Amino acid sequence: MMTPGIGGIQKTTNYKVVLPFYVYASLGFLLGATLLMFSTVDIGIHYFNPHILAITHSMALAWGTMLIFGASHQLLPVLVEGKLNSDLLAFLSFGFMAIGIPILIYGFYIFNLGTPLKTGATLINLGVVCYFINVMTTALKNNRKNIHAWYAITATLWLLSTTLLGLLLVFNFQSPFLAKNSVYYLVIHAHFGMIGWFLLMVIGLGSRLIPMFLISKYTNNKILWLIFTIINVALILFVFIYLFNWSAYLFYIPIIMGIFAVILFGRHCFQAYKMRIRKNVDQQVKTSLISVFLMLLPFIILLVTISLIPQVYSNRMAMLYGFTIFFGWITAIILGMTFKTMPFIIWNKVYHNKAHKGRTPAPKEIFNDQVYKTMLYCYLGGFIIFIIGITLFNQFILKSGAILLFLAAILYVYNMLLTANHKSK
Amino acid sequence: MNIKTNNNEKCDYALQDLYNVIDPEIGLNIVDLGLLYEMYFDETAKKLECIMTLTTQFCPMGEAITTDTRNSLGASFPDWEITITLIFEPAWNMNMISMTGREYLGR
Repeated sequence: MMTPGIGGIQKTTNYKVVLPFYVYASLGFLLGATLLMFSTVDIGIHYFNPHILAITHSMALAWGTMLIFGASHQLLPVLVEGKLNSDLLAFLSFGFMAIGIPILIYGFYIFNLGTPLKTGATLINLGVVCYFINVMTTALKNNRKNIHAWYAITATLWLLSTTLLGLLLVFNFQSPFLAKNSVYYLVIHAHFGMIGWFLLMVIGLGSRLIPMFLISKYTNNKILWLIFTIINVALILFVFIYLFNWSAYLFYIPIIMGIFAVILFGRHCFQAYKMRIRKNVDQQVKTSLISVFLMLLPFIILLVTISLIPQVYSNRMAMLYGFTIFFGWITAIILGMTFKTMPFIIWNKVYHNKAHKGRTPAPKEIFNDQVYKTMLYCYLGGFIIFIIGITLFNQFILKSGAILLFLAAILYVYNMLLTANHKSK
Repeated sequence: MNIKTNNNEKCDYALQDLYNVIDPEIGLNIVDLGLLYEMYFDETAKKLECIMTLTTQFCPMGEAITTDTRNSLGASFPDWEITITLIFEPAWNMNMISMTGREYLGR
């Protein structure tokens, strides 16, 4: 696609495709944080309980997945060096997901495993199928598939596996047809999503974006391929060990592989940081780098849990594990990358035809930096306090942490809407 | 900065204004960033061709930067026909940033 008179320039994805995902995701974060604030009494009991399931799916689908959908519709063309195959599929994907997610969360919250859960899960799967087709056709149409594109393609396959398995589990609740009950398979469903979808996608996009925003010349595809292989093999191994009930000691292997992969990714980011051209690193990229450190936390918790913690604390450790993933590195990288990618989208929407016609603000001036910093302090404070609350099993500490996370979500939504509604002055 | 041209005087004149074309993300002008490769002037036909690149082919600011460049050259040469040609071979790299640009970026 050419711009008249300017040979070779590729159009980026239309902002109308991307923005709804971003705005919806911000409300998903607010929903997840609100539910957490009102559900601190559920911390410590088994994770298969209505409120925890509602919070988990708010964070996983409404927040993490919707934001990544939005960002990847924008970034996939960059990764494959071609145009997004279909805006229509992106709109359909948004429509199905936007309707299906609240129905599913409502189903979990009131623990109605019938119509709401089935309807929500079906709609979500339709949305994911649209996204999957769009990612695959975009990648296949363009020959330039680099390592980052392979991360995105494979992560999307894992996402489809996650939601299809989730759909099977929903139907298996009421009319059992699988060999074991649905709760047994939840572990696989969760790890397909957390490792296969989120970890692969975040490393795939992050390994492209972090050096780009640091303006770094560092690149090392061999390391990225190694990380890619380790994560996929570790996940498949984990599933086999679990499904075939192999020795519990074998779980150490995929966990240590996961830690190794994250350390390699951390090293990759550190090298990019060391070889950056731009000396000053902005707060958004720093937040994303914090997220890379936070990726280690759940793996370490898992390692400690299976080796040192008595069985009686397993519910609390499971809670800690899930919390450090959804409110930890997934949230941290989104908080950072939202305010790196979205200002570009808005800047292009508002100013792309106004260049050289008076002073235009830089993308970083489109959102409120002070609000961002306050949000970040609330988030980090809330995250640490909530972890202490889970560890000590103290309601006051849990509630304090949850309130700070809720404030962070409010500030995030405010800054998001401020950015989305930016007008030329 | 090493821009090929067939008219040094006009090229220098064009650059004066092009120093005001800023990459909005990096905050550095396109001249010091090393995005300009070639500039050719046809005085008879009053045509100017500017061959340039972007930091990446899918640079989200690509359209804005090229429009800004066109407007800038149009302001310097009001009655000339301006053509902007984007090329990605050779690809832009960090070594193309001028010393002034590196100092601006704190390097």
